[in-house]
Amino acid sequence: MSVDTRPTEAGITLNERPTTGLTTSKRTSKSGRWFVEFLAAAIPALIGLAAVLLIWEAWVKLRHIKPYIVPAPTSVARDLLDDPSLYIVEGLKTLEGAMLGFAVGALVALVLATIMAQARYLERSIFPLAILVKVTPIVAVAPLLTIWFGFGLMPKVFIAALIVFFPIMVNALVGFRSVNPNALALLESLAAGRSEVFLRLRLPASLPYIFAACRVSIPLSVIGAVVAEWFSGDRGLGSVIYVANNNLDMAKAFAGVFTLAIIGVGLYLVTTWLERRILFWHESTWAD
Amino acid sequence: MVSNEPLVEGPVLSRAEGPVLSRAEGPEPHVEIQDVGMVYEAADRSLVALAGINLSLARGEFVSIIGPSGCGKSTLLRIVGGLQSPTSGRVAIDGAPPREAQRRKQIGFVFQDPSLMPWRNVIDNVRLPLQVNKRATQTDPERLVDLVGLSQFRRYYPHQLSGGMQQRVALARSFTTSPSLLLMDEPFGALDEITRAAMRYELLRVWRSEVAASGCTVLFVTHSIAEAVLLSDRVVVLTPQPGRIAEMLDIDLPRPRPEETEETPEFLQYTRRLRSLLRRRSTA
Repeated sequence: MSVDTRPTEAGITLNERPTTGLTTSKRTSKSGRWFVEFLAAAIPALIGLAAVLLIWEAWVKLRHIKPYIVPAPTSVARDLLDDPSLYIVEGLKTLEGAMLGFAVGALVALVLATIMAQARYLERSIFPLAILVKVTPIVAVAPLLTIWFGFGLMPKVFIAALIVFFPIMVNALVGFRSVNPNALALLESLAAGRSEVFLRLRLPASLPYIFAACRVSIPLSVIGAVVAEWFSGDRGLGSVIYVANNNLDMAKAFAGVFTLAIIGVGLYLVTTWLERRILFWHESTWAD
Repeated sequence: MVSNEPLVEGPVLSRAEGPVLSRAEGPEPHVEIQDVGMVYEAADRSLVALAGINLSLARGEFVSIIGPSGCGKSTLLRIVGGLQSPTSGRVAIDGAPPREAQRRKQIGFVFQDPSLMPWRNVIDNVRLPLQVNKRATQTDPERLVDLVGLSQFRRYYPHQLSGGMQQRVALARSFTTSPSLLLMDEPFGALDEITRAAMRYELLRVWRSEVAASGCTVLFVTHSIAEAVLLSDRVVVLTPQPGRIAEMLDIDLPRPRPEETEETPEFLQYTRRLRSLLRRRSTA
């Protein structure tokens, strides 16, 4: 067993030399490895992205494509840099709606899954309703929501929550039931109550399932917020894109899309990072 | 301590029906299994898993149940532990039903898999029984972890431990509540032969140590003959379909039993005896 003898040196070592894993403390080498892994994954992706942008630029320039049909990446970039605060402010508005919606949807999903996990008849009465909500095309309901909730934050939260809720509920329910039967028997032999079994076993055991659902549904929550803004928003990137589209200002529309993509990637990275921290004990997070 | 029932007959039930509420020590059996039967009803037929099981365990006695797979050994253990109700007969632990023993946290369980909580480190896994159904806390989890030789690994998580180490954590955990009755369902069945041999002595050591000083009774399910002889005061041979007690064999080897025990002629005699009992049963 290697014991790190100099915890204070870790920072200095990191600054002076590249991480070798041998000279630095466990913690540093771990985060260092994560960073190296991240770079290793990011660099090929960035090269790919650069290649696409280059071809796109060349194609627009050489074929003289009209800017209201397809803008060149450089003109999109110019638009972004001209008024970055617009994209930051409106992006935060969209993010706000998406995150609130995600929180509400996840909360409702967990509560319903908890109720359904108690008895099959509860599952049989709630699950069909959930499926009904799930199969309803959100885009068809969106205009209605404007009538009910008006403009602003509420419709965004509502639609994002609606999209997010189903995958999380289904996965949480599967997770609550996927417990080691002997661990369950052990708690039973200690006369543990229902709530104790839930808190000590079912909930932690379901976390890998819930996280898998979150990775899918967090980007979906952004889509939900944008759809709401498209129909009813006076704020947010959805309405920026909508207005730009109507004005045939394609550079602005693409700049909005680009900002959305950045938000999506950021959320995905945060989720993955959280998952690695919380589910360190689960085989899904172990690097092979 | 060791009862001296004749080999072929079942144990003589020493007292009449009816729960005894006093917790007096002495001739009262600690655990009484009376006429327990278990029938599983399937759609078209019923499967008799256990029939007419009569067995009483004295306080502090180590009894092994041995028999081929599917003879209802695990079912019997689950019934004694109150995880399952028998379709006939009754089980009394200190004169009360198993559920009551559960509530008093008198029962320790060890399964074939360690069934640790992977999100808890060693010490927190051992501490778990103290955190549910909060009752008298008796044994310091830290001392138990030391006792099974894992003091250096206290903060390790199950996935960082070998199978043998994980099972040692499960063993320590089963002693956390100072149970008076330890139920072990092939606890070393999933381990390799070398680890398995070491774990037998580990179990004997912990069982004889001060954490179990109150005289912990053990009911141990296995299909290893050597294991049954080395550990037990008495070995119960179960036959399958339906599961019935075929024989009982008292093991009169002196305790403590060091590793040399396995080379003594008495030990070999007992294993030979058990093997022939099992063989006769399986060919019958």
